[in-house]
Amino acid sequence: MKSIVILSGKGGVGKSSITASLAVAFSKDKKIVCADCDVDASNLSLLFSLPTDKYEEWKPLSTNQIAIVNKKKCISCGKCIDACYFKALKFKENIPKVNEFGCEGCGACELICPVNAITLQNIDNAYIGYAKTNYNFSIASAQLLPGNSGSGKIVSEVRKKANKISKNAEYLIIDSAAGIGCPVIASITGNDYAIIVTEPTPSGFSDMKKALEIVNHFKIKTGLIINKFDLNKKYTNKIKLFAKKNNLKIIKKISFDKTFVKAMVNMVPIIDFDKTYEPIFEEIKQRIITNINKLNS
Amino acid sequence: MNLFKLRIIYKKMKIIAITGGKGGTGKSTVATALAYELSKKNKILLVDADVDCPNDHLLLNIKRKQLKTVFQRIPKFDLDKCSKCAKCGSVCKTKAIISLKDLEPIFIPEQCNGCGSCQIICPENAINWNNKKIGTIYTGKKDNLNLLSGELKSNEPISEFIVNHLNEEIEKQKQKYDYIIIDTAAGAHCPVISAFEKAEQIIAVTEPTPLGSHDLEVILSVLKKIKKKGSIIVNRFDIGDLNKVKEVSLKFNSKIILKIPYSKKIEDSYSKGEPIILPNIILVVNK
Repeated sequence: MKSIVILSGKGGVGKSSITASLAVAFSKDKKIVCADCDVDASNLSLLFSLPTDKYEEWKPLSTNQIAIVNKKKCISCGKCIDACYFKALKFKENIPKVNEFGCEGCGACELICPVNAITLQNIDNAYIGYAKTNYNFSIASAQLLPGNSGSGKIVSEVRKKANKISKNAEYLIIDSAAGIGCPVIASITGNDYAIIVTEPTPSGFSDMKKALEIVNHFKIKTGLIINKFDLNKKYTNKIKLFAKKNNLKIIKKISFDKTFVKAMVNMVPIIDFDKTYEPIFEEIKQRIITNINKLNS
Repeated sequence: MNLFKLRIIYKKMKIIAITGGKGGTGKSTVATALAYELSKKNKILLVDADVDCPNDHLLLNIKRKQLKTVFQRIPKFDLDKCSKCAKCGSVCKTKAIISLKDLEPIFIPEQCNGCGSCQIICPENAINWNNKKIGTIYTGKKDNLNLLSGELKSNEPISEFIVNHLNEEIEKQKQKYDYIIIDTAAGAHCPVISAFEKAEQIIAVTEPTPLGSHDLEVILSVLKKIKKKGSIIVNRFDIGDLNKVKEVSLKFNSKIILKIPYSKKIEDSYSKGEPIILPNIILVVNK
């Protein structure tokens, strides 16, 4: 199975809209599976009118641990508080109290405690599952529970889930989160191809460069989609020039079109909402396939 | 300074965080427009806490200056002392140390979060501390507006470390300002929650699309969990279906305090990097 990840650095440039329509284009003659790796705010399936109550499976997941202090055993020596690099432990009435938002579950406190008063306990920090779309493919996704941490590990679990439900799929298409931090890094490692989506604005351009630094670090072959390219021709030219200098292939430029919002509001991928987008995404798909095949020959 | 005067300053000073869940809803647009408007009559600090992709300086056309480098500790192995017992790797939850018995440990700095478990477990005292650079804190200025901007180094995973350093700066500097506006990242994970730490008022910027209201619900659930109250600004309120946002607003008892219409002019200013003027933006303070 070949895997393709879509990222952007900046949020709201059209990552999920483009992922959804690209997936539909691929599914026309290929077996595919999708992974929504934006686990902070998981919503790729919403573009297919699939809220979580329509999922085939949706159940709690634990990828995190948290320190639990046994008050009876604790001798109030404070060693755990000094050892916690994340400042998640503080004395409260002479007993260390764990701040659940700060605790990384690293276990340093457990190791340093001289009386074994601290143990690590698994906590449910997300929901994970999958949904079947009307287009003959499924989407694996997860949602981080409010106030929890560990998005990176949850992303890895979503990718595992996608593999599990893939049933001989030829392509895995991954929608990553905004930013360049831990969940994004977990989304892009080990993929065959990456697509960076950008828009011709100062922020879009700056964030695209950051996204490129990461995919280059992991040595992943990458293509660029400039969304809303006609919004600002000057910046589009800047992006083009940058792409040329950095040997980054531009796969497609897409016009600014309010139909994208209409399709989103109707919870239908734009490729199906407005048929003029069919050839556009077909072209993007063919270019991606050609680029991936070039890698292998 | 006498106590009375101190109290007046404290009462007046206000820290507002701008967030939203979904990316691209207009967080930075609102944060910069609000900060710039307020700065005409007040002392303002704008804090760009979207440390993965900070953009406020681009929106305000500010050239940033480096204030400090942010470091994170990483283990330094004294291989002369190492007995190759492989315990360090066995306690490393982030898989930054790969250790096999009778072999020297292999260390991957990018994976390390500096927790220190390896040092605690090492029976030979063979582990000491080194530093790695994980980001930079910048400052900048536009007219009366001061900017504090944090930036994560590429390929470093732990954004919230940078946000924590911004929080330290806020704590140090807050007496100097009337308002501090914090612009958070998209999403709802650790760096966003860390950016709420100092905030007294939190505003979620959303758009009336299924994705916007879904992510608004996510972020308001986070606020409920950390026991902070949030209000809502609906950006481009006329592009979609406002009812869904209203439902979420009712469910979480969070008021919609401003509706901003879609405007090609805002879109154009944004794409050109010109400062954006949002009518009535100043009214959201204290609402």
